Amino acid sequence: MTRISSPPAGAPNPFIRKLEAFTALSDEDRVMLERISAETYVVGPDADLVREGDKPDGVYLIMEGMACRHKRLEDGARQIMAYLVPGDLCDLDVALLSRMDHSISTLSACKVVHLEPETVATILERHPAVARGLRIGTLVDEATLREWLLNVGRRSSTARIAHLFCEVFERLAVVGRVREDSFALILTQADLADTTGLSTVLVTRSLQELRNGGVIDLRDSELKILDLPRLRKIAGFKANYLHLGDATAA
Amino acid sequence: MNLRLQPVQVATGSDDQESRLVFASGLLIAILVCLSAQHEAEAGKWYLEVGFGRIHDVAAPLFSDLDEAQAWIRDQLPDPS
Repeated sequence: MTRISSPPAGAPNPFIRKLEAFTALSDEDRVMLERISAETYVVGPDADLVREGDKPDGVYLIMEGMACRHKRLEDGARQIMAYLVPGDLCDLDVALLSRMDHSISTLSACKVVHLEPETVATILERHPAVARGLRIGTLVDEATLREWLLNVGRRSSTARIAHLFCEVFERLAVVGRVREDSFALILTQADLADTTGLSTVLVTRSLQELRNGGVIDLRDSELKILDLPRLRKIAGFKANYLHLGDATAA
Repeated sequence: MNLRLQPVQVATGSDDQESRLVFASGLLIAILVCLSAQHEAEAGKWYLEVGFGRIHDVAAPLFSDLDEAQAWIRDQLPDPS
């Protein structure tokens, strides 16, 4: 089954939306970004885009669906270190490395664009505003990883799940993928467990606690946030690390 | 190694309460909890809620019954010989 969360009709280009959250773009920048992100192809769920040990071969842009960065222990246990949502570009400067140190795989079915290293180099050279947005994106990826370390290392089970939902909500909202406080969350409980460092049993209990408390509703891969202030309070969520208002503040 | 099981109710903060304290040579080594209906397909299986000593920090599978859980726990313990 290949199922992709459909964007709302007339949904904006998520790549452009995300960059515009970080920096002001010109019409010329937008035309170029529309052009390079037009050639999408569909990848099924649980497919590797990049494998640990591969030689880097350009970068991937996620246009629909959700992917992740992850590493595995020898016994197969997996830790997910990042989610990639529509508008996210994987590893801007990865061409500088000789081998990948982690894998990037789809969680749900995705629409992706593959950009050659030369294309990325040309964008960075000829479109300074886009380059600025992409570099801010890289800093935000690092800030998000720090927040995830805090999440996995120090928060309680339910707060970890709540924090993850708060973050995904913010990130999808900025690229126009949230409607009436609902968004597609095509993740298994095992995916959530591998993201939060919990067992699937603890994930189930935490989801039940959030449901019973009237904070969320999760059914048919659709997460509806019923009480966002409560969810944020449970998570101890502060959106500052996502730097999403920086374009207007600059 | 002989294990002794003692029925107990555990406050897990969920519907999962029916539990067993697991003793090895008189020492508490694990707490197993039976999964409630909220776990759907996994309901009725046994979950290693907490392990001590040799089974602390070990990723345990879910067990279909208490015999399977005890066999797994024995495998983690040092050989008595």
